[in-house]
Amino acid sequence: MWAEVRNLREGIDLGTPPRDGAPVTLTVDGVEVTVAARSSVMLAAAQARRPVPKLCATDMLEAFGSCRVCLVEIEGKRGFPASCTTPVEPGMVVRTESPHLHALRKGVLELYLSDFPVREIPDGWSEFHETLQRVGVTSHPYGAGRNHLHAPVDASNPYFLFDPAKCIVCSRCVRACEEVQGTFALTVDGRGFESKIAASQDQSFMDSECVSCGACVQACPSHALVEKSLFPEGYDRAESAEA
Amino acid sequence: MPNPQKPEHSVITTCAYCGVGCGFKAETVGDRIVRMTPWKEGKANHGHSCIKGRFAFDYYNHPDRVRHPAIRQSIDEPWQEVSWDVAIAHAAAELQRIQRVHGRASVGGVSSSRCTNEEIWLMQKFVRAGLGNNNIDNCARICHSPTQFGLTSTLGAGAASQHFDSVLQADVILIVGANPTEGHPVFASLMKRRLRQGAQLIVVDPRRTESVESAHVKAAVHLPLRPGTNVALLDALAHVVVREQLYDEAFIRARCYWPEFEQWMALVGSDRYDPDVIGPEVGVEPDAIRAAARLYARGPNSAIYYGLGVTEHSQGSTGVMCLGNLALACGMLGREGVGVNPLRGQGNVQGGSCLGSWPHVFSGYRFVTDPDTRNTFEAEWGLRLDDEPGLRLPNMFDAAVAGTFKGMYIMGEDPVQSDPNQQHTIAAFRQMECVIVQDIFHTETTKYAHVLLPGSSSLEKEGTFTNAERRVSRVRKVIEPLAGLADWEVTVKMMNAMGYAVHYDHPSQILDEIARLSPAYRGMSYDLIDRVGSVQWPCDAHAPEGTEVLHVTTFPRGRANFMLTQFVPTAERTTDRFPLLLTTGRILSQYNVGTQTRRTANVQWHGEDVLEICTDDAELRGVKDGDWITLSSRVGAITLRARISPRVHAGLVYTTFHWAESKANAITTELSDWATNCPEYKVTAVEVVRAAVVPARSATAAQTVGAPS
Repeated sequence: MWAEVRNLREGIDLGTPPRDGAPVTLTVDGVEVTVAARSSVMLAAAQARRPVPKLCATDMLEAFGSCRVCLVEIEGKRGFPASCTTPVEPGMVVRTESPHLHALRKGVLELYLSDFPVREIPDGWSEFHETLQRVGVTSHPYGAGRNHLHAPVDASNPYFLFDPAKCIVCSRCVRACEEVQGTFALTVDGRGFESKIAASQDQSFMDSECVSCGACVQACPSHALVEKSLFPEGYDRAESAEA
Repeated sequence: MPNPQKPEHSVITTCAYCGVGCGFKAETVGDRIVRMTPWKEGKANHGHSCIKGRFAFDYYNHPDRVRHPAIRQSIDEPWQEVSWDVAIAHAAAELQRIQRVHGRASVGGVSSSRCTNEEIWLMQKFVRAGLGNNNIDNCARICHSPTQFGLTSTLGAGAASQHFDSVLQADVILIVGANPTEGHPVFASLMKRRLRQGAQLIVVDPRRTESVESAHVKAAVHLPLRPGTNVALLDALAHVVVREQLYDEAFIRARCYWPEFEQWMALVGSDRYDPDVIGPEVGVEPDAIRAAARLYARGPNSAIYYGLGVTEHSQGSTGVMCLGNLALACGMLGREGVGVNPLRGQGNVQGGSCLGSWPHVFSGYRFVTDPDTRNTFEAEWGLRLDDEPGLRLPNMFDAAVAGTFKGMYIMGEDPVQSDPNQQHTIAAFRQMECVIVQDIFHTETTKYAHVLLPGSSSLEKEGTFTNAERRVSRVRKVIEPLAGLADWEVTVKMMNAMGYAVHYDHPSQILDEIARLSPAYRGMSYDLIDRVGSVQWPCDAHAPEGTEVLHVTTFPRGRANFMLTQFVPTAERTTDRFPLLLTTGRILSQYNVGTQTRRTANVQWHGEDVLEICTDDAELRGVKDGDWITLSSRVGAITLRARISPRVHAGLVYTTFHWAESKANAITTELSDWATNCPEYKVTAVEVVRAAVVPARSATAAQTVGAPS
């Protein structure tokens, strides 16, 4: 019972919440795996030790299906469904790697990278960095365009900061505030390129309803929300923002 | 550098703040702790955290940390830094001298819920075996002692019946005198998850807390009773259950004694407790009482969570019994989603309670007067033990004022700030000849101490904590003790210096001793906890990996008991001079007396204690938001800033007690629970006037606590 909270494991991200339910057996990249009904294909792939690259999904939050990195191929289904929002079915045959999938993921990640401080790619260790490394994306083919590299850092909270330049607007922070903490202090404000994470009525984190539980920082895949204690010399973005 | 520093190592440990007991990964670079992240496998928190455990850990390295033992002959002299050996030899010699002159019972000890189980155990062993008396108490005396008494008398076990996850099965959640979003935030998040799924919420609290209404949370019923009237209100709820026959007869006949139920029914079913009578008395709409009773009784799964708003009253124990009775009458025990659950304030209140740090009982609440229990301890410890119950903490202070109690060994506790009627506590300390304080900081109490032994924070030692759901989790050493010794090592040295020879290679051997001598912990060991993550007691041959839900098939005494819970109003009354009622509590960002959190950036959220007062009461007194006011009761007066707040209604004011200089306990009274002496912190008649003089007070905490001279 309570698989959503009880079956979480340190150091393993199943991608979507574990479920209680009748066993469902499927194959992922030829590996047979049995998971609870209502689980996602992403979770089944993780259980089969064939984890799918992902950005907006994490197992403490319900699937959202926005980043388009976790696409897979499923026999008998058209196109490339997002593994996070596709529930398992008995006998499903899932493929997590193919040249086509690789090209799709690469394309998506290059787009993310086109609005990310490039000089911070090499020695980063966030989940976003790990995903880039795994898919083999280190640069993007796009020229200089509109970006968020100069959007102001919100360092109002004494314990963590928010750097919009590193934000990929996956909304994991927003959903963590709602689903894990239950405070509903964060939102995605605006649409398209203008989309940004906002606290309460577009206030600073410190002035907002934020209760500093840290769930958003924990959920952030790109170190856009990050503990200040990991910057013993302080957070100086000027250099990289100019890059 | 724009990319964060990557931690090099991590250690899984247990948060030292509230009774939720979250699992954390303490991450380090070199010998520096750089981050605390919530442990996904922590069974109390499932990867979630709050501001205190997640971020407010820097106190461990604060310049104020006591890093050297110190002694002095009198409290007017400056501290003299000495070696560990000198300090411990001096402390032991003083205690022995006092015992020679004033008798064996003239000294005692106090442990704290901040201590690990192993340290709490050693402290009571120090008193029983080292001092030869039972003058041992712990700070649960002033918070949850009524829980132990009230739940033991009804259900047979003074502990939460459930595990936290059980709330995810609850259909109705009844919160009484607790404010989980501030006091137990990670449990509150779990509870709110269930509320968003549609569970109904009833809140019994004088204040309109966040639990009553916040984002996506709205209580179905809020009963904003007058402080001090819990028992009347809870009896009125029971009245509705009885009169409308909402009770679970099959459960009562199977699990309780029917004649006892009939007696109870006669009491609470009487016209005295009719909501139409009680409602006006306690300040709540009679129909709201009826609605709450029906909701709770209908369930199907109704769970009670309560806090110090129940216990810290002159009828605290009776209030706890009311909750036990109500759950029994409605059959809300013995399965997932129901139960009666105290929310423990400090990380190890449960451990402090169940491991015998009490003057009258050994671990497992077995009486010191019982020869069989005493024999097992005497056999293990190799000496005769005193069969006379010792002094409770308030009685130690009374005896000190009377001149018969002269020495005290205090571990991790600050009675001057946290105990009620501060003037009396200070007078008691001034009468003592040797006060030994083991703490990580100078506190209000160290001002009256003669020996200072540096404590180690929970990041600096091995041990275990028992959380509010009876869960025993490991505390693991992340860094070396700043002053060189872990607390357990200090107490062992104290015992040896007193002439009682003991030796442990590792704290795991202390838990092994606890297991040998305590039925509920019989199966516990560091190996087991390391293997399964954490273990809820009882853990024994029948439950080798612990027990999640109590009372499933039987109660500890076989059947449970209905207790008679007549309402007796507190002697603390409003008068013309003191027309308002003050109640006290905590806030999210600060923790108890603030020793730790006041030394972190958490002060940016709560830099001072303020007095919450409603618009009408403020206007009547010419008080505006932010004004300095004097808050006086019949025992004292303090000065605070006022905050006009919609959370309190007319006649009620509220403050927190986190800051030493606001001295909230200079105005709380000497009244206490009839059964356990738990102070009546929650009810004080007061008056508020604009302050004539604005206090010169530092805005930051660090300088305000006495530093070693």
